[in-house]
Amino acid sequence: MSWLLALPAALFLFVFFVLPLLDNGMRSLVGGDGQLTLTRYSALLTDSFYLRVTAETILLSAGVTAICIVIGYPVAYVLVRKSGRWAGLIIFLLIAPLLTSIIMRTFGWQVLFARRGLVNNLLLDQLGLIEAPLRLTNSPGIAIAALVHVLVPYMVLSIATVLQSVDRRLEESAKILGAGRLRAFREITLPLSLDGIGTGAILVFMIANGSFVTLVLLGGGLQTLPLLIYQQFNTTRDFGMASAMSTLLLVVALSCLFLQLRLVRRRGA
Amino acid sequence: MRARKRDWIDIGLVAFTVLFFTFMLAPIIVVVVVSFTSAGYVAFPIPGWSLKWFANIFAYQPFVGALKVSIGVAIAATLLSCLIGVPACLYLARSRRAWASAVMTFLLSPLSMPMIVIGFASLFFLSWLGIGITFTALLITHTVVCLPYVIRTVAGVYAGLPSAYEEAAAILGADPARVFWHVTLPLIRPGIMAGALFSFLTSFDNLPISYFFASASTGTLPVVMLSYLENQFDPTIAALSSLQLLMAVVALLIVDRVYGIDKMTVAA
Repeated sequence: MSWLLALPAALFLFVFFVLPLLDNGMRSLVGGDGQLTLTRYSALLTDSFYLRVTAETILLSAGVTAICIVIGYPVAYVLVRKSGRWAGLIIFLLIAPLLTSIIMRTFGWQVLFARRGLVNNLLLDQLGLIEAPLRLTNSPGIAIAALVHVLVPYMVLSIATVLQSVDRRLEESAKILGAGRLRAFREITLPLSLDGIGTGAILVFMIANGSFVTLVLLGGGLQTLPLLIYQQFNTTRDFGMASAMSTLLLVVALSCLFLQLRLVRRRGA
Repeated sequence: MRARKRDWIDIGLVAFTVLFFTFMLAPIIVVVVVSFTSAGYVAFPIPGWSLKWFANIFAYQPFVGALKVSIGVAIAATLLSCLIGVPACLYLARSRRAWASAVMTFLLSPLSMPMIVIGFASLFFLSWLGIGITFTALLITHTVVCLPYVIRTVAGVYAGLPSAYEEAAAILGADPARVFWHVTLPLIRPGIMAGALFSFLTSFDNLPISYFFASASTGTLPVVMLSYLENQFDPTIAALSSLQLLMAVVALLIVDRVYGIDKMTVAA
């Protein structure tokens, strides 16, 4: 088999994936007068508004990643160690939401927390805890919950993959030698599954960094780079600034990809 | 004492898992239920049952047009992805050269880039090439993100196959074209099927790229749904989403049949 077979795919991606991104980077460096300029990047790195947006993007992604680890680990543990004949069902339930549209899920959150949604109806009619419907939508909490909802399956599957390869006899040995169950977990299982947490964390962080549909529809006052690109394309039409922000987002994504490759390679070695 | 403590941990873990799946399924189930509401507004629980919102999908012309665009793009992008992706796998999955694994990483890399950046950058680049907001532009940009799915599944299947079958066919005198058609292709067909389905669903659900290429004749379903949702909040969107979910679940069951869900590792 000849290397020529791989040429069409590689060429296609070079022309329609690499070149547009390079072109975008170039456009972020050319000012309105056609001269090279770094003003947009200096604005991104010094202007307090842009600094706040960048910080918020990274904090939001990091926060969502942390929540996904805390929620996802126990589920991955149950899937690998406890599920038995339920494993197929659990995997199906994890993957099925990945195939629902992002619009459907955000719509679902709106239905749950709308003025006449499930939560208000429960509090108002069933429990009588409140007297008028609460205004629950448009809060950062719900936007974060919606992001976790989208991303946590990736975390569970990443952790479960590594957990599956951890030799259970190591944990058994620790217990036989007198370690309690929690201690065996803390000193044996958890350290051995760190790779899975790492892979999952990079994956979740990477996707969280680029997601904006959730924030467009659920708002919550969170202001992130992808949301700002969307707004600048839509309303302000400051394409140069949007290019610079895209390039910044791309650099973050490339760093994540690099980390991911190193992690995979280390596991392979 | 120790046995009792263990039980409590297990009960806690199971309870947590049940709670987790309640969280995962609640937003999806409420949408499915709301799509059958008889009310003229979005409320949960619903006052009665009706199918009128499903009928409403087809009464709203932009949805019908967008559905056609979405299906067209998804099929075309999937075909193109298979056409250029499968040959690449045939070489890369078996090659031991270092650069082959680098090319593989490159071919999978669009999965790791923020889609909004791909969409935004492509709009300006393709406009410069003279194919701005057209069906062709949608096809090209969707293929960029669909190709990795085809490559990952096909390469996964092909790498796991022993080369003995193809060698046997070649020794018995079959030329490379015949070997491919009669031996290789039937062996990798499950991978192609699964990759094509994932590719179709990825394209069909794509919003961050399609958004930049939307016009009256090139608006895909998610884009039209988003703009509908920004102005109206009624159960039509729920009905449409439920139909989409049905399609995805059927696709998933097919993938499981021909390929096995457990082989679909998410991490690259």
